[in-house]
Amino acid sequence: MDVNQYLEIFLDETKEHLESLNTQILSLEQSPEDADTINEIFRAAHSLKGMAGTMGYKRMQALTHDMENVFSEIRNGSMKVTSGLIDILFQCLDALEEYTKCIQETADEGTNENQQLIDQLNDFLKGGGQAETSAEKPKKAKKEAKAETPKEDQKWKAIPLGDPEKHVFAVAKKQGKHVYGLDIRVQETCILKAARAFLVYKAIEEKAEIIVCNPSAQDIEDERFELEFSLIVVAECEIEQIIAAAKNVSEIESVTGDVVDIDVSEYADDKYGKEDDKADTKVAVSQAAQGTAVKQSDKKASKPVVNRTVRVDIEKLDVLMNLVSELIIAKNSLVSASSTETSLGSGFNEQIEYLESVTTNLHESVMKVRMVPIESVVNKFPRMIRDLSKKLDKKMELYMSGEETELDRTVVDEIGDPLMHLLRNSADHGLESAEVRAKRGKPEVGSIFLDAYQDGNNVVIEVRDDGNGIDVEAVKTKAIERGVITPEQGESMNEKDIINLLFHAGFSTAKQISDVSGRGVGLDVVKSKIESLSGEVEVKSKLGEGSTWIIRLPLTLAIIQALMVIVGGEKYAISLGSIQTIEDINPNEIKLVQNREVIHLRGTVIPIIRLSNELDIESTKQDDENMVVVIVKKGERLAGLVVDELIGQQEIVIKSLGKYISKCKIISGATILGDGEVALILDANALI
Amino acid sequence: MDELKLAELKSLNETAQYIVIKLGDEQYGIDIKYIDNIVRMQNITRVPKVPEYLKGVINLRGEVIPVMSIRLKMDLPVDEITKATRIIILKLEQHGTIGVIVDEVREVVTLSAENIEKMAYDGKEGKINFVNGVGKHDDELISLLDLNAVVMEK
Repeated sequence: MDVNQYLEIFLDETKEHLESLNTQILSLEQSPEDADTINEIFRAAHSLKGMAGTMGYKRMQALTHDMENVFSEIRNGSMKVTSGLIDILFQCLDALEEYTKCIQETADEGTNENQQLIDQLNDFLKGGGQAETSAEKPKKAKKEAKAETPKEDQKWKAIPLGDPEKHVFAVAKKQGKHVYGLDIRVQETCILKAARAFLVYKAIEEKAEIIVCNPSAQDIEDERFELEFSLIVVAECEIEQIIAAAKNVSEIESVTGDVVDIDVSEYADDKYGKEDDKADTKVAVSQAAQGTAVKQSDKKASKPVVNRTVRVDIEKLDVLMNLVSELIIAKNSLVSASSTETSLGSGFNEQIEYLESVTTNLHESVMKVRMVPIESVVNKFPRMIRDLSKKLDKKMELYMSGEETELDRTVVDEIGDPLMHLLRNSADHGLESAEVRAKRGKPEVGSIFLDAYQDGNNVVIEVRDDGNGIDVEAVKTKAIERGVITPEQGESMNEKDIINLLFHAGFSTAKQISDVSGRGVGLDVVKSKIESLSGEVEVKSKLGEGSTWIIRLPLTLAIIQALMVIVGGEKYAISLGSIQTIEDINPNEIKLVQNREVIHLRGTVIPIIRLSNELDIESTKQDDENMVVVIVKKGERLAGLVVDELIGQQEIVIKSLGKYISKCKIISGATILGDGEVALILDANALI
Repeated sequence: MDELKLAELKSLNETAQYIVIKLGDEQYGIDIKYIDNIVRMQNITRVPKVPEYLKGVINLRGEVIPVMSIRLKMDLPVDEITKATRIIILKLEQHGTIGVIVDEVREVVTLSAENIEKMAYDGKEGKINFVNGVGKHDDELISLLDLNAVVMEK
């Protein structure tokens, strides 16, 4: 059955369910008795299982099935939530995420059975939550649970059985025949797997009747299986005979099998299991049944879910985006035409104004479609902090605010890793151990804050902790030790510059290297990632009180307001967002400080950057003429960019320079002007 | 094994189309399958702080495309812009879309494999080899450009 067309939906929904499971299980740990949470978890797990089954991801289905059983027990009140259980559930979620990732990359779930997790889950089921999670115990329990749990080498037990099959088995049993499950493993070196499988098939068919085959006979024929396949057969003879027949085929590594113990009562006492198995097998049996399965899970999830989203193919959005870009380009050409041909009447200008309002609106609405709340990214952090708390043996709590803050989809997708780095950093380096905290009179539980809010055309995300703060002296010593700076440089640097050294590649002050952080690859990656999103990151810290990492990101990346300037006859665009003021400066006002040109403007000393030098071009202005200086801001730092001429403000569409020209740091992109010329966009952040 | 031989035979009989361009006095061939477009010379926006052979970027129907000078890349004299000068837009898997400036575009020729003499890499001169074969067509010799070598960063 071709389910590829549903793959995307499957992935999206799986991710959503996993996310919700993560959050819900976390809150379950806080309030283990909350019925709503348990119901929510159960629903999510159930839908997940149904979906995995529909798509034919057997391993994923098997794992979720066992998870669901556990949730079901919890729901019935026959099992208590323990910290150990929560740990295992989280591991299961990780495993499921692993599957999802694998499916996303290869459309296949991979071969990891995660048998250990399934066993552990079953232990909990058996022990009613009393089971221990120590290393030896599960192994022992595994042996005991042999009868119920499918062993790793009994894959045929994972074959879903539907009513028709069961019926056949029942009839066979009545006739005194045996039902066997077989696992056949082909040698790894075998070249013609399908042919070997076919021979095995044939050999077995002489002795027995093959009822179910996993993967399907068609798949085996098309060589769409790994090294193993499983069969369920009905035969009169003993299983040894069948195994011997199959083993006669060359290049077969192993054939194992056992009597299938089908007991209808097995399904009867597991109400949910039965219902689901039905749903799943129906799907496996007939394609049409797919609707039924979906309907079933829909019914279960009929309670309003937290967030209903409309999914839009990002490619389609890009097309829309391009259309808007072209519209704006068209508008720009009209603008340039109107300025050159003054003879045209005022109606023309009205047209332009109209066009302008249309394009601005269109731009805004398209932007809104692209905006998604950062929720989807930050929701996984509470879970991560919980794990870190256990791993690092530090007590900590994460407080989040502003999860609803919206950002461009592309930015949201990229921001997860840097934020994770910063949070790990805070947890590992920032927060002190319990003893130190007690000594300093701080509450035992460390706090990490993640706040997001919109600030003008930017979105600010702050990661704050009440930990140790940054030890400037330690950073300086380390930097000198590592050869990042010379001792002389260290003397002349102020606190802020030293803190910024943390973003230097190959820098880590953690005295102990832990697997959480401390490899010295964190912060410089964070910085470059955020800069690649045209954002910036800065740190504020007070020793002993904690530190704050501030990430500033532009709301959108595609269309910006820009100031067009001319330098040496060439046109450049500077993003309006970074411009503070524009000044007319007499060359006499330029002073030299430490051999660098600065101006003194309304009480602040601002360094001057001559763009003509930076851009390797001759300025068209005479030295004694007044200079046009564009004052730009990066965080709290200012700089004055000297340009030859100002053209004016314009809405520009940002185009990438392509990967071929990527080394030019001070140019962040290009735009197409009304006359079709390309103008480069200066990255003020890189210049400062 | 037979399949391999078959594939070999097939490739021998296969023909490829090349666009013949002129750079100085020499004729070069560019495999047509990499060519996206040929446009007239237009104003190129200079990009600072890039190697000299990268002339800048142009606007090709709303897309910004980098343009390089093959002449400068191959250490030939600087381009002389004439009426015949063209920019060939190449689409390469590795490098994306990129334009190259050529003196003149002459014709499209079809070369069969037997008319192409492969050139072995000559490492002695310590130079990058930009040509990976010579094609014979109507008594004329066409040097076939190895586009990846041409486009590759120095």
